[in-house]
Amino acid sequence: MFKFFAAFRKEWLILERDIAGMMLLFTMPILMVVILTLVQEFGWNTMANEPQMPVLFVNNDSDTVGNMMEIGLEKAKIFSLVKEINSVPVTREMAEMLIQQGDYQIGVIIPENTTNTIRSKIQLMVAKTMSSLMRNDPDLLEGVPNTDSIEIVVLFDPTVKKTFQNAFLSATREFNSKIEARMVFRIFQEEIQKIFPQFKIPISDYQETVFFTATYPSGEEEAIYPSSTQHNVPSWAIFAMFFIVIPLSSSIIKERDEGSLIRIMTQPVSYMTIFMAKVAVYLIVCFIQFILMVLAGIYLLPLFNMPALELGHQYFAIAIMAIVSSLAALGYGIMVGTISKTHQQAAAFGSVSIVILAALGGLWVPIYLMGYSMRNLAALSPLNWAHEGFISLFLRGSSLAGVFPEIAKLLIFFAVTISVAAIYRTLKPPIST
Amino acid sequence: MAEPVIIRIEDLSKFYKGSDEPAIDNISLDICRNEIFGLLGPNGAGKTTIISILCGLFSPGNGKVTIEGMDSQSDRNKIKHIIGIVPQDIALYPTLTGLENLQFFGNMYGLRGKLLKERIDEYLVRFGLDRFAKKRVTKYSGGMKRRVNLIAGLLHKPKILFLDEPTVGIDVQSRNVILDFLHELKATGTTIIYTSHYMEEAERLCDRVAIIDSGKILAVGNPRKLVEENPEYKNLENLFLELTGKDLRD
Repeated sequence: MFKFFAAFRKEWLILERDIAGMMLLFTMPILMVVILTLVQEFGWNTMANEPQMPVLFVNNDSDTVGNMMEIGLEKAKIFSLVKEINSVPVTREMAEMLIQQGDYQIGVIIPENTTNTIRSKIQLMVAKTMSSLMRNDPDLLEGVPNTDSIEIVVLFDPTVKKTFQNAFLSATREFNSKIEARMVFRIFQEEIQKIFPQFKIPISDYQETVFFTATYPSGEEEAIYPSSTQHNVPSWAIFAMFFIVIPLSSSIIKERDEGSLIRIMTQPVSYMTIFMAKVAVYLIVCFIQFILMVLAGIYLLPLFNMPALELGHQYFAIAIMAIVSSLAALGYGIMVGTISKTHQQAAAFGSVSIVILAALGGLWVPIYLMGYSMRNLAALSPLNWAHEGFISLFLRGSSLAGVFPEIAKLLIFFAVTISVAAIYRTLKPPIST
Repeated sequence: MAEPVIIRIEDLSKFYKGSDEPAIDNISLDICRNEIFGLLGPNGAGKTTIISILCGLFSPGNGKVTIEGMDSQSDRNKIKHIIGIVPQDIALYPTLTGLENLQFFGNMYGLRGKLLKERIDEYLVRFGLDRFAKKRVTKYSGGMKRRVNLIAGLLHKPKILFLDEPTVGIDVQSRNVILDFLHELKATGTTIIYTSHYMEEAERLCDRVAIIDSGKILAVGNPRKLVEENPEYKNLENLFLELTGKDLRD
């Protein structure tokens, strides 16, 4: 055991003397977590009074539909409606030009007489229905205009994601449906009043009967409310922790290039002892990185009007998850450093493979939005296991037992990668002949 | 050979993957206890491969290697306790001090506490490095680095010491200190296996040398006797050039 502590001391001394490297190891992950969380804030829209997505709004209707649509979009809080530019009202041509130039991403054009057209259409439908009820009374259809459908145009910049386009179209359709439902209800009331003038029907507005409530089932008594901070801090913390692969592999290659490894290999000490000492030192680094990133989530992000990170009550489980995630990253780093022949190979392969594993692991795009084949691949990414574990702890209120499968997978990954490195080093001594 | 054999190499051959030519071509050699044995050869002759096999870094392809009666492969871990290696490259951590490097490598040999401290102090004084022990290796001159590199392989007082070009690129004073020390070390009963390109140095230091090229032993014997047996060559260097040729090597 004392050889392990001697190797640990050596590793620690080497690391602590690289002050610039240490600073980078601790500051870059914090920067990454803060910036990426802020950048991704829009998707979550939990920040108050923050700039929203500008939408060019051309309301040529100036009646119920146009006005209600305007109110509905503004109420959504995701969009800020732009109706004038430099005090000049936005026209369809202007909107098309501005979106084509990429100055704006979305435009809504509500044509003239939209409300009247819809009203006429509904009147015709109601009149036809009432007429058939009243044994085809032709008087009921008298004076009801037969109009064509109306088209509300939504303009999109090609850079707007398809999912966002669909979400926007659904929202506008929903506003319109509500308006139409109200108009149908009102016109029915008016028509019935015409048929039965002897009855005084009280005019009432259409009332929705089904409401949707979003809740988050959680194992915790006090559920943690999902927010961009809650989602992004653990995600980017994992990403940053896995980037330990670069300095760790570099340290292994340096030791080999400087010749110290050859001497160590002729000494009565196992490679595993040397590897484990490296792992222990870098595990401390990873854990400090994690604590700093969590502290940034709690104290730094609120300075940017972001919600603070909530840890819930599973401190121990979170610490265990951070340790096993770090171990998986370190095992991978040891393997990359051992197999790579040069610093360049290790840096290029290490960084690109982490980006790929992060993308596969659902750190950027949620797995449920991926295709089936990609979902199967995602299950093979250690970053996915770490991500799932943290998300369960930070958002779903899971306990340590709840994330046991993820912990087990990460530990097995660590054991496999470090064994591969040890076997490779045994079979291929670092000697140029 | 009065002393018993400490290293026995029997019919040793070694091929590297992808190479048709053997790195070591069926060599047999006995090295005796308390002997300074020189492995001389041009670049690519097979010196480092032989030392790597003797140190247990490579497995012998064919043949057998025994060190103090122990098999170089199956008893590798036991052998590691009795051998020391001084690689050609400066195998030290540049950001650690000389003392920290020696403490670490001493610890890896299982040394610690007072014994390790005494050994380190003894060698630092012997090699004139005691004043610089707490300086980082990166600040050392080439000669100082070579001396620390040598001490790191000596701390556990190995029975067999492998020296791969220990005096390459250093000043005359440092070389002199090292060569004198190796003579002293021999007197304490240590067997030294030594590779060098300096024929003069080998003549001065070695009890026996083996001139090797293309993985084959071309000549073995006491350097002076080898020259005497070939009177047409006035020194070991001329004999070496005759045996290995004057063509440039990679």
